Amino acid sequence: MSVMLEAARQIRLVPALQAKGAMIVAGGTLAVAELNYGQGADGTLIILDRLGLDRIAVVGKKATFGAMVTMAEIARDRRLKFLHPVCNSIGGPAVRAMATIGGNLFAPAPYGDMAASLLALDAEITIHDGKSAKKYPIEVFFRQRKKLERCLVVSVSFTLPASGSFRYSKAVRRKPVSASVVTIAALLPRRGGKVVGARIALGAMGSHAIRAYKAEAALEGRSLDSATIAAAAAQIAEDASPADDAYASAWYRRQVVPIHLARLLAA
Amino acid sequence: MTKVAVQFTLNDEEQNEFVDSGSTLLAVLRGKLGLYSTKAGCHQGSCGACTVIIDGEPRLSCLTLAQRCTGRMITTIEGLTRDGALHPLQQAFMEGFAAQCGFCTPGMILAAKSLLDRNQSPSRDDVIDAISGNICRCTGYEPIIAAVLAAAEQMRAEMKKSA
Amino acid sequence: MAKKRGRGMAAVNYPTGMNLGGDPSQALVHATTTGSFIVTLSSVDLGQGLKTVMAQICAETLGVPTENVIIDTADTDTGPHCMGTFASRGTHRIGNAIIMAAKEAKSVMLEVAAEELEVDSGDLQTDGAGNIHVKGSPQKSISVFNTALAAHFKHGKTISGRGIFLQPRSYPEPETGKMTPATCYAHACTVAEVEVDTETGEVRVLSLKSAYEVGRALNPRMVEQQIIGGAWMGLSHALYETTEPYYPDRSHGPVDFNQYLMPGPGDLPEFENVVIERPAADGPYGAKGVGEMTANSPIPAIANAIFDAVGVRVDSLPITPEKVLRGIQALNARAPY
Repeated sequence: MSVMLEAARQIRLVPALQAKGAMIVAGGTLAVAELNYGQGADGTLIILDRLGLDRIAVVGKKATFGAMVTMAEIARDRRLKFLHPVCNSIGGPAVRAMATIGGNLFAPAPYGDMAASLLALDAEITIHDGKSAKKYPIEVFFRQRKKLERCLVVSVSFTLPASGSFRYSKAVRRKPVSASVVTIAALLPRRGGKVVGARIALGAMGSHAIRAYKAEAALEGRSLDSATIAAAAAQIAEDASPADDAYASAWYRRQVVPIHLARLLAA
Repeated sequence: MTKVAVQFTLNDEEQNEFVDSGSTLLAVLRGKLGLYSTKAGCHQGSCGACTVIIDGEPRLSCLTLAQRCTGRMITTIEGLTRDGALHPLQQAFMEGFAAQCGFCTPGMILAAKSLLDRNQSPSRDDVIDAISGNICRCTGYEPIIAAVLAAAEQMRAEMKKSA
Repeated sequence: MAKKRGRGMAAVNYPTGMNLGGDPSQALVHATTTGSFIVTLSSVDLGQGLKTVMAQICAETLGVPTENVIIDTADTDTGPHCMGTFASRGTHRIGNAIIMAAKEAKSVMLEVAAEELEVDSGDLQTDGAGNIHVKGSPQKSISVFNTALAAHFKHGKTISGRGIFLQPRSYPEPETGKMTPATCYAHACTVAEVEVDTETGEVRVLSLKSAYEVGRALNPRMVEQQIIGGAWMGLSHALYETTEPYYPDRSHGPVDFNQYLMPGPGDLPEFENVVIERPAADGPYGAKGVGEMTANSPIPAIANAIFDAVGVRVDSLPITPEKVLRGIQALNARAPY
């Protein structure tokens, strides 16, 4: 099967190509695998290598990532040490060398651990729809994700968290890496020892990463003592809709997410 | 079938080929260039048997489009032997009985090489991370980990001697 | 957070080879012009190391260096008769066929050497380093190289031999069902130590320690590696692998190596193995088969260790964290503390 590759020269021309049925290849972990098995676009793949989307910029407290930045590139960046555990949990070194931050936003459960982390970090996603660039808070992006597959993710940005306020855990079925049983990304800013503005995101607990609002509320204004942690753990799965898959059942995910949350908060 | 030109450096030699548009690097290595040591395992990026090194990073050649390799430096396992002398990793795998059926071996060695190129004193956990994307069915991984650590020690000793 | 440790044990007897058709294999040995040796087989080296061990057996029987023996095998157009490589039969069946063929080749080789040295062939021995000399008089010698040249250019003899392994098929006695399908059995015992996370059901195998009785470990490093690789596979079957994770429902069957779960390099236990040798009367240099059995005893050993750790008896594989967790919860419901 011969497939046409088109290296896009301008960001704003990409959505029109997508509308004609062309498929974006970011890192290639999903798209080229589909191609190898005879699935995929009507013969045209759009390569994004020439669009300059592979830069990481940290200006003051704001970090901006081009959509093509890979997990390996983030894991080498000393300014982003708090994200390294996330990157290093996404496949082996060869996968990390190609998996992109933009691609991870579209990865289906039980993948999408960077997306869950970005949700905890209150990231902003910049998308180009062919006419103009638009910014979406990541939660809005997830709600409209199906519709936005026809647009091009250009960049992702967030405010760097206070040192020590970002926590991450991923329960896996096979060590050191596998897809997720449960992923928890938590932003826990503190003021005077009390949690203020907690954001807890879960991966592999729904069709995309979700916020655990009730667990966050249980932490708000409190210190991370065992009673508070227990209260948050009790609420963690309230709005989750995990699925059965080859890694774990929905039942199992619901059983263990409170355990993993409690351990993450107590650490 | 549309053909496109690709040009990259492979094991220190420049290659210029016409390949089918949309070919993977794996298909070009095996089908066009007659280099069969890079194995076709799953075609999905989950087994690691197709691992090569591109610009110093381990990469899955089954998921790498050949057209995206233009201008890059690629190393396959065929490029490790110099003037008939085995690379210390190849030697260590042999002496350590770290290969049985051998299907995972080229990918394992290249994954290990890209680790040792960056880190001359890896810990056991570093080695485990380096091979975490490579599946082995025969050895139980233990002799592979031991062989990589042994090769690292050998290479450190050689560097000390030549220093 | 509670982690509980447990220990479990299991043992296995494993027959070498199979009963059907007499389990035949054939081997042909011949010398090249200059005294290297070719063993022609139809058996397959899958990576278990058949070619290495068969070269060892041939070299040992001929009395020549192992490096001078080449195994030529696995051409279905031309190869001699063989049942194949399975049932842990390779070392025993093909090894025995090679010994038979190599003995014949050696007797021709010694006949030629005897003529060249003008002695009786019964007075000769090989030194394993490529020479043939008179017993007690090492200076009266001829190289295998020159013996081969003499055979081929002077005496008109081929230094070659033929071998076959075949055993009478065993049929069950009609009254009792008694039969003897295997002539030798290898044995193993594995002790597994595990640590169970009682809140998540996750099982970590801390160690797999085994004793193997294999008749004779013809290549000790390869036997050790087979045991380690097999132990990993046993662990994999015990805790990970399935094509039907929701059996008997067929949903969510794995479709790739990501979903077909197997332990990774981060899941390895400590391996410790002891090999015991009680030579088999009918094995090549006493060897028995040790191929497939290495994945067997680790599985019930791990299941028993989990029972020892948390009192949960899981009798279906794989023993997933969910099965363990459900078992722990059921026990707690019956006897809450």
